[in-house]
Parts: sequence; C-alpha cells; structure tokens
Amino acid sequence: MTGRWLNIALAVYVGLIFTFVFAPIIFSLIFSFNSQRFPTIPLGEFSTEWYVKIFNDPDVWTAVRNSLIVSSSTAVLATVLGFCTAYTDFRYNFRFKGPYLALILLPPTIPLIIMALAMLAWLSRIGMSGQLWSIILAHSVMTAPFAMAIIRLRLHQMDPDLEAAAWNLGGNEWQAMRHVIVPFCAPAIVSALCLTAAVSFDEFAVAWFVSGLNKTVPIVILEIVQGNIDPTVNAIGTFVFLTSMSLVILAQLLFISRQIKSHS
Amino acid sequence: MTEPLVTFRNVEKRFDDFVAVRDMTLDIHEGEFLAIMGSSGCGKTTTLRMLAGLDTPSAGEIRIEGRLMNDVKPHERDTPLVWQSLALFPFLTARENVEFGLKMRGVAADERKKRALDWLDRMQIVEFADRNVATLSGGQKQRVALARSLVMEPQMLLLDEPLSALDANLVIRMQGVLTRLQKELGITFVYVTHSQSEAFAMADRVVIMSQGDIAQVGSPKDIYRTPANRFVAEFVGRNNIFTGKTGGSDNGKTKVSTLQGAFLAQTPDNPPGPEKQVSFTVSADLMTLTLTEPDADNKAKATLISEEFIGSVVTVFLEGQAGQEYKVQMQERALAELDLSPGADVWLSWEAENANMLETGS
Amino acid sequence: MSGPRKIDIYALTWRLPIILWQLVFFIGPVLFMVAISFFVVKNYRMTEAFEFVNWQRMLTRGFFWDSYWYTLFIASLSATIAMLVAFPAAWALAFRASDNLRRWAVFLLIIPFFTSYLVRTFSWYVILAESGVLNAMLGYIGLGPFRMLNSHFGTIIGYLTLTLPLAVILQTVTMANVDKTLIEAARNLGCKPFATIWRIVLPLSKTGFIVAALFCFILAFGDFVAPFYLGGSQEPTLPILILDTTKSGQQWPRAAVVAIMMMVTLFTVAFTAIALAYRKPKGSKG
Repeated sequence: MTGRWLNIALAVYVGLIFTFVFAPIIFSLIFSFNSQRFPTIPLGEFSTEWYVKIFNDPDVWTAVRNSLIVSSSTAVLATVLGFCTAYTDFRYNFRFKGPYLALILLPPTIPLIIMALAMLAWLSRIGMSGQLWSIILAHSVMTAPFAMAIIRLRLHQMDPDLEAAAWNLGGNEWQAMRHVIVPFCAPAIVSALCLTAAVSFDEFAVAWFVSGLNKTVPIVILEIVQGNIDPTVNAIGTFVFLTSMSLVILAQLLFISRQIKSHS
Repeated sequence: MTEPLVTFRNVEKRFDDFVAVRDMTLDIHEGEFLAIMGSSGCGKTTTLRMLAGLDTPSAGEIRIEGRLMNDVKPHERDTPLVWQSLALFPFLTARENVEFGLKMRGVAADERKKRALDWLDRMQIVEFADRNVATLSGGQKQRVALARSLVMEPQMLLLDEPLSALDANLVIRMQGVLTRLQKELGITFVYVTHSQSEAFAMADRVVIMSQGDIAQVGSPKDIYRTPANRFVAEFVGRNNIFTGKTGGSDNGKTKVSTLQGAFLAQTPDNPPGPEKQVSFTVSADLMTLTLTEPDADNKAKATLISEEFIGSVVTVFLEGQAGQEYKVQMQERALAELDLSPGADVWLSWEAENANMLETGS
Repeated sequence: MSGPRKIDIYALTWRLPIILWQLVFFIGPVLFMVAISFFVVKNYRMTEAFEFVNWQRMLTRGFFWDSYWYTLFIASLSATIAMLVAFPAAWALAFRASDNLRRWAVFLLIIPFFTSYLVRTFSWYVILAESGVLNAMLGYIGLGPFRMLNSHFGTIIGYLTLTLPLAVILQTVTMANVDKTLIEAARNLGCKPFATIWRIVLPLSKTGFIVAALFCFILAFGDFVAPFYLGGSQEPTLPILILDTTKSGQQWPRAAVVAIMMMVTLFTVAFTAIALAYRKPKGSKG
C-alpha cells in the first residue's frame, strides 16, 4: 500500500543528505571556474582566472612543495610505525599489551586543537618546532593508527601457519619477515601509505601551530580564508581535493574494496 | 635394530595449565611410515610441532640422530612439514613456492628452478608451475605442498592432517601417492591424523594418543586385533567389549565370568591371575551369527535390533540377554541368506583365540 | 618461544620503535601540556613554576564557564541533530538498499573525510552568505534573505558537515548488521513497522548508536573552524578560546588549562557513553 511511496520518500531523503554532504565540495568546484569575486546565483562567466592566479603565486608553489614533502614523509613514517605495531599485535602476546596498543591508537581521539597546542609547546621546548619536519613528527603520531588498522586487518586475513611455514623451510625470522609477511601485506602497505598521505595532506590545525613560517597548502588556505573572501581558495581546494581523492581511490582500488568483498 | 632416527624421552609440553603432551617416550625409526592418531586435543599435533621446533618441550628430551633438539630453532632443522592448511604462499606461483626452501638455504637461482621443476614434474603438475597457487585445485595444491617440502631432500617428512580438506575419492588417490613416495624415497614419514582409515591404510606403525598420553603403539594389525586397553578398543571402533571376573586358566585360555555368561579368552603375556576384574574385546568381524545354537567355545543369545550398510559389508546391532549391545560385521550376502528381520532371536559365537584381554585397570 | 629468558632482538625491533616514538612525540606533549598549566608568564615569556595562578584565573572567570557550557550545549545539540537527521537515511540504506548500493553509499560518504574541511567550510560561507547562493535561490520564491552566517545555525551547519557523514555511516553499518530474521519474526508476530524500529532495531543497535553519537560529539566539541568562520565566534567555544589565547596572547599556560578541562570533559563523556553502550540489558545474567 504505502510501501512504494515510503520508498520514494526515503530515496528523496537519502538524496537530500547526499546533497548536503556534497554541496560544499561541488560548489567549491563550480566557484573555482566562476569569474565572480563573490559567487552567487546567477553564476558569472566561466573563467580560469583563479587558477592562473594561484599558478603564478610563488607562495602557493612553495606550499605545494612543502605539502608534498610533509605528506610523503609522514606516510612513510606512519606506515613503518603502523606496520611494526600491527605485526607486534598479530604475532605476540605480552603483559601491558593493552596500554601498548592504546599508546598508538589514542591520538586520533584527541581534538586537533589540543593536539596542536600540546605539540607546539613540547616541540618548542625540545627545540624542534617551527620546522617542516615538526609537522612530519606530529602528523606521524596522528596518522600511524590508520596505517596500523589497515595493516592489522590484512594480517588478520593471513593463515597464521604461513610465517611458521617459512621458518620450517629454513628461513630465519628476518627472512620470513622479508619473504612472507611483507609481500603478504604489500597491498595494505601501499594502501596505508596513500591514506596517511591523504590525511596529512589535508591537516591544517596542528600544521599551522607547529610549522612556524613554513606553510603547507592547508595553511595557505587557512590564511586566505582568514583574510577577505578570495575565490582562489576554491581553486586551491579543487587541487587539494583532486590530490586527496586520487590517493584515496588508489588505496580503495588496491585494498579496501577487496577487503569489503572478502568480509561480506 | 639400528639407532632410532628420533627419540622422545619423557617429553612433556604444557601450555599454562593445560598439559598437551605428558611424559612421552617414543622412538621413530629411519625409513618408517609412522602415523600418530587421536581425536582433536590429544596432543598429536603438538608432538609434530615439537619435532619441527615450532613448540619447545617443557620437560624431557627430543633427539634427532642423537643430537639434542630441544632448543634448536625451526629454521635450523631439516624437518619440513606439510601443513593441514597447506600454508602455501598465496603471492607466489607454484614453482616459487617449491623454490622457497632452497632460496632460504641460499641455493642459486638456476639450480633452484631446475630442482623445483623436477619435483613439480614428479608430482605431475609441472604444467601449473607458473600459475598462482590460489588458482589451483585442492589436489594440485596438495601436490605443490608436498613438492615444496620434498625438494629439500629431507631425511624425514612431517605431515599434519594433509588430506583433511580433500573430498573422499581424492583422499584415496593421495594415500596411494604418499605411500608410493615414501617407499621410493625411503625416508621417514611422520603422519598426524584423526582418521583411522588413513592411518591404517598407510602406516607401518601407528601411535594412538589420548589426552596427552600414548595409549598404544603398534602395527595397524596389532592395534586392530589386539587393542591394549579400553580407550583403543573403543577408539578403533567395531569392537565388542566384555567385562567380568577371571576364573581358572588352562591351555592358554582364561575363563571370564561376565553378566552375559562365562567365556574363554586368550590369556595375555602377563596373566592377571584369578578373581581379577578384566575386560576383553572381540572384533565385530570375528563374530559369527547363526540361527541355531552353534558348537563353539563362546556363544550367546541375542536379539537383532538394526543393520547398517557400508558397501557390501553390513554391521548388525544386537541386544544380549543382559541388555548389552553386540556388533557383528559380515558380508551383506551372508546376512541376506539368513533372512532376518528386527526382533529375530539368533546366536552369536566366537573363538577363544579372538577374545583379546585388555591390560588390567583400563 | 619460552625457555631461558634471552633478549629477543627480533621481537624488540618491532615493539620498541613505536613505544619510544609515542613516548617522545605523544605522551611527552600531553604531559608537558599538563605541566605548563602550572607555569607562569612574565613579560611575554613562559617560565617554569608550580603555581595555580592560571587555573585560578581561568576557572574563576565567568567567560570561561560561559564558553564551557555553551560548547557543551552546542556540541550536544549538533550531535543530537546529526543522529536524528541521519537516522531515516541510515534506515533506508540498511534495510531498503541492496548490498552493493549500500557499499557504494558508504564509500561515497567516506570521501568527505579526505577533502579539505577548510575548503568545505569556506564553500558554506559563500553559500550561506547574505547575498549567497541559498538566499539567491530563496529570493526566486520570494523568501528571505535570511541571516544564516554568524549564528548558531551557521555553527551547526559547519558541525554537521563534519559529523553527518560519520553518523550515517555508523548507523547504517550498525543496522545492516542486525539479524534480519529477528525483524521478520517481529513483523510476523504482528509488530507494526514503527514499533519494530523502536522495539527491535534500536535496542539491538544500541552500542553502535551510542558510539556514533559519541564520535559526533567529540568532533563538534573539538572543532574550531565551524564556530569561528560560520558561527562568527560571537560566543567563543573552548577551541576558539584555546586558539585566541595561544595565537594572540602567547598565554600557553592558560590555553593548557582550557585544553585540560576539555580533555577531562571528553574522557568523562566517553567513559559514561561506553559504560552505557556496553551495559547489559535489565534482567540478563552475568
């Protein structure tokens, strides 16, 4: 009776939710090609003015370079740390394992602003703040749990006899690691690299606090937003969005979709 | 007899409070096919893992060729294992899997490839050499797993329920493959299984384990015909078990008075003496079923309850006068000739030589 | 491997790096932040001390407590709104959508987490402005213009940008895992659709829902972007207070006091919520 109408109503509702979620992303994309300084409806003319503007801005280029350095270094560090923890959790049982895991998994639950303040105070204290690598240090702590989770999920799928089989065939523990565990985890490792890079690439609060004069892309955005309305933000935002999305889609293609399939 | 290849001396393995293997003493000889059999949790796999160095004994000594192995790491041993899960490396091809052990041992690439292909050829799966193992069938994976272990040219191969994942007719074929390989190579196979048919079909000697203890060691025939104790008698199945008090013994036979009547049984090597509580077993296939009272040492009246067919052999279940259950195994044709229906009264009889007395206290 | 206790270099190689790393770069910062809340600032320089002056100064001021209660209120409100708004969509995705469609929907909803929150906020700023897109559209049907920025409304829109996708994802996944046969059994026994939601689906998804609400609360409670840019920070939330005291005043010790108060609050809320989520229903054993 009302089943059909209920389905239609629900479909419309879900559509509205998705509209709300994606409206800012899509509008940002549209505005980035819009000639108006203060975009509204009706839209102005198509224009690549804002792209040209950021393309010719040396500050933006520096920020892009900084962001690439920060996110790639963060990705490598966080993935190494995440891998070590995931493997330890997979292989060993020991006292204080709970606190050990909490140590790595806790940071994402702490609000960014608090993390930013704590990092700034501490890194200044030990003379490590105001550098590009200050951001890398902070981001590695914040993103390692994501890498750990992805790699742990992969190890969970591994036949626990596989490592022992390598020993049984004459490989020592290091060889088993090199020839069995790492190859088995390879897709998860690449996926973890992509995701941690994507998270680091977008992070602005902690980066802004600890970076000193070294600006990354999100910091540039933050500074533009703090000033006047400037549509170059949309152009930069589109660039950031495309970068992050390629990383996420790469991670998805490599690992996550397979994960979902094998679990359902 | 020559020096045994492997000796277990009073070996014990505990996991926290759980004793997986208790006070095990066992010799494994060069070139034999030894099966270790028992239900899950009996300690059979732990025994195998200790042999491979994957578990360390909590007490006692394990020696291989006289060398104390307790603390030798798995990779320093020559004890390749065929895993229940097969544990093939899913990211490698069949050939790369077989090469793995040689690579760990530092064998050069050409040599590795040659030896791996030789073994894949011998296992008749060389055409799948460059296929990813995930795409192979169960039987093909099995052969890759065997080749991966045997390419190491070990003096001893360990097998942990390797056939448990295969379907029934493939199991029979692989049993043939395994026995032939073992004869050809002349190396020791230590084969862990819960399956009586696999153990009895392939092994020279069978070790039966129960809750961490060895219940009996012997040839399949010994274990089948003369189970040493009640556990083995029940475990290998299709045995009729009688319990009673001993009377006089004479001419190698001992009289046992049971609730079902007095019967003669074979006097064991160490006679229990008179007035002792004992049990004896009679295999179901050594009992004879007749319509009229037979002229035999041992006989009993019984009522037919049901029949169970497995191929041409049928197991007949009967109830004795004291309410106990009897099992008789016979050819289906022979049973058909008797033309019985449930509730029919019949006679059972068996030879005194076939009544095997169990160790006292079991 | 047991036996005589030797140092297992292999095991330590995988275990130690993260311990050291997190001690220096996670525990270190957090503990140091607690420490500096007792430091004093003289002539714009922070000096080591052990005084309660910052605590006293912050906790006896009305503006701190105004901000504290306001943040608690608006974060709870936005978490509640996010949960309520998400529910019909999550219900539809969990029970009316095919597995494949649901998987895609969840994947699409993950995307926003990897796009710049700042850019999205800026986009809302433009959309919601006095002469922005939304007011222009409303103008065509003769409504408005409405003042949507620099208000609680703006703040909550910002928070929802952050929390709504998460609420939908967590609710969907939770409800999709409810045993469908239980729902069919209830319907079969004459339970009406809405009663089924109330009596079967919600009790079975309690844990997932509490966790979802908790995440929404944590995200809103700690966010400074939405209240700052969309809410106009007329009533500063605690994160804005931290930002102002750190960035402009160099008053790190006072910012630390605010941060510690926030963390204490978050942990209290989190532990209460988790205790509620895993509490056994009345009358069950154990």
